[in-house]
Amino acid sequence: MISWDRVLVVALRVVRQLKRDRRTIGMITLAPVFLMVLFGYALSGEMSGVRLGIVDVGADGEVRDHLTSVKDFEILHLGSESDAEKMISEGRLSGAVVMGKTFMRVLLDASSPQVAGLITSEAGAALQKAGDAKENTREGLLLSPASPGSYMEMKQQILPARPVMEIRYVYGYDLEMMDSVGPAVLGLVVFFFTFLMAAISFLRERTLGTLEKFMVSPLTRLEMIAGYLAGFSLFSLIQSATTLLVVIFVFGVPMRGSVLTAFLVILLLGGAALTLGSLLSNFARSEFQVVQFIPVVILPQTVLSGVWWPVQSIPASVRPISYLLPLTYSSDALRQVMLKGASIGDIIYPDLAFLAGFFIITLAAAIAMLNRKVG
Amino acid sequence: MISSKYAGPAVFARKISKRFGKLQVLKNLDIKIPNATTYCLLGPNGSGKTTFIRAIVGLIGLDGGDLRVLGEPVKGVAGLYSRIGYMTQHKALYPDLTLQENLEFFAGLYGIRGLAARKRIDELLDMVDLKPHRGRLAGDLSGGMYQRLSLACTLIHEPELLLLDEPTVGVDPRLRQTFWDYFNRLTSQGATILITTHLMDEAERCRLVGYMRDGRLEAQGSPDELKSLAGLKPDLQLWMQDESASYSAASLLADHGFSARVEEGAVRVELASESQAAEVLRLVKPLDLRMHEPTLSQAFLKLGEADR
Repeated sequence: MISWDRVLVVALRVVRQLKRDRRTIGMITLAPVFLMVLFGYALSGEMSGVRLGIVDVGADGEVRDHLTSVKDFEILHLGSESDAEKMISEGRLSGAVVMGKTFMRVLLDASSPQVAGLITSEAGAALQKAGDAKENTREGLLLSPASPGSYMEMKQQILPARPVMEIRYVYGYDLEMMDSVGPAVLGLVVFFFTFLMAAISFLRERTLGTLEKFMVSPLTRLEMIAGYLAGFSLFSLIQSATTLLVVIFVFGVPMRGSVLTAFLVILLLGGAALTLGSLLSNFARSEFQVVQFIPVVILPQTVLSGVWWPVQSIPASVRPISYLLPLTYSSDALRQVMLKGASIGDIIYPDLAFLAGFFIITLAAAIAMLNRKVG
Repeated sequence: MISSKYAGPAVFARKISKRFGKLQVLKNLDIKIPNATTYCLLGPNGSGKTTFIRAIVGLIGLDGGDLRVLGEPVKGVAGLYSRIGYMTQHKALYPDLTLQENLEFFAGLYGIRGLAARKRIDELLDMVDLKPHRGRLAGDLSGGMYQRLSLACTLIHEPELLLLDEPTVGVDPRLRQTFWDYFNRLTSQGATILITTHLMDEAERCRLVGYMRDGRLEAQGSPDELKSLAGLKPDLQLWMQDESASYSAASLLADHGFSARVEEGAVRVELASESQAAEVLRLVKPLDLRMHEPTLSQAFLKLGEADR
């Protein structure tokens, strides 16, 4: 039988210890805010100050006008293509567009794919505009005196029809990057801090000798871990509350579902991080070795669990790993709750089910490991 | 207060053995620790003392033999944890909690709360002389103070069986006396205390001493019994007027069947017991004299030699 009194005693002790550690408290509450602000600006998708060279050898006005109107570019007019090449290789230009009457050459620096992508797409857009303008001119020549009412009809008869794209969002609206990343980062932050704190705390119990003392006391291993869960949950809630406030009020990410449902997901994820941390602490001899878990445990999750880009964009050969990571499920669940307004019932499978399963399995393994260490 | 529910030996080990890899740490060890006594386990490093204590509390499983704790087979020792106090060589405290908070935490683990906890904590802080420091962080304490707090945390639930691994390292002599007075009070109330130590004068204070060596119990008895087992006897040192008086006194004593010799200008006479001193003083009249009691460390040195 589990004694809730003893669980409470452990929880109270954990809270007392953390409360005294001002710096950790600061890290827990302010680091997520700092990270979100940082991510928010880095991910806004806006570039500026991209230095683009233009070599104009008799281009259409539309092409030049479009490129100079893009506010992300800082335009430099150059005399020759070789000047442009030289400046790109010296790093003074991010790229250049050589425009003639019948051709366009785009010179790029491949070291930054995002910048190269921006230049390519804007150059393409410029060509498109020039093409549209020409077409209109041609249409104008063909149909100039016609009445405006019959214009579309006639155009459809004479010119080959172009497909028309129509965009409809099934839920939400035109979401910005932050709207999708915010809920997932919320999970990432809670997972990261809880995992690290749990691994270090359990390691300390072992090196201080208190773990051995517990083994010879009425406290059971389950009660000990439950006490930690209760104590850490309080901090996970504070942490997610501050992060949520920033995500919602600073970045305007919608909160369509219930905050309580979001907290439930976070608590389940925090529980999984805690049991995983306590399990892995068995494989570390020092705090330094705990820190070495970050590239092994945390980094793969940040890359593979759909926090920044969708799981669908991860190569199929690696994707099965994504489906074993708790953050994959918390990211999905938190997005559904915040953006779609999903209720508990909507996310119970697979998200909550996986998180609960992961928690129970790591809990059982952590308890078994505590037993083994002693026997 | 402590009142033992069990009258038999507190710990009873028969032919217990434990192997770690290739190393046989306990070799058919036999030990019986009676109830309501102070028992000191002495022995060189690696003799198996700590392994034995860890086996008693069930932290390591045995390969063979029979081990009973407070009358129960060691398999069921988990059910006895509320009656056992265990102080490891690690001090097992939280440096980021105050003394009071550390004690409250351990009290809570044993279900001691509220007024009972406050009274008990006051009493223990008094005993270990740390009352003025109760609000300090344990991490700020000196080594000896840390040790005392660790002992207080171990005693919080008034255990019937106390297992103390090197409990008085770094504790000053005056306070050590306080500890021993407290230990004696506990045993008079029925508690059993098992101590390991390297300090012989500490062992002298125990009612029983066991000498472990190489995974076996080499000798067990009261400190006096062990000394006589090692063949050690008290001796008397006599200072005479001058050297010639010393030599004549020595030969006179030898004529009466005493083993006597002149050493560093004084006569040394071996006694079978302290009562023989009166007989010696009837034969010779020294200017000054001193009685030398054998020490436990002499006894163990002797026992160790015999073993080799």
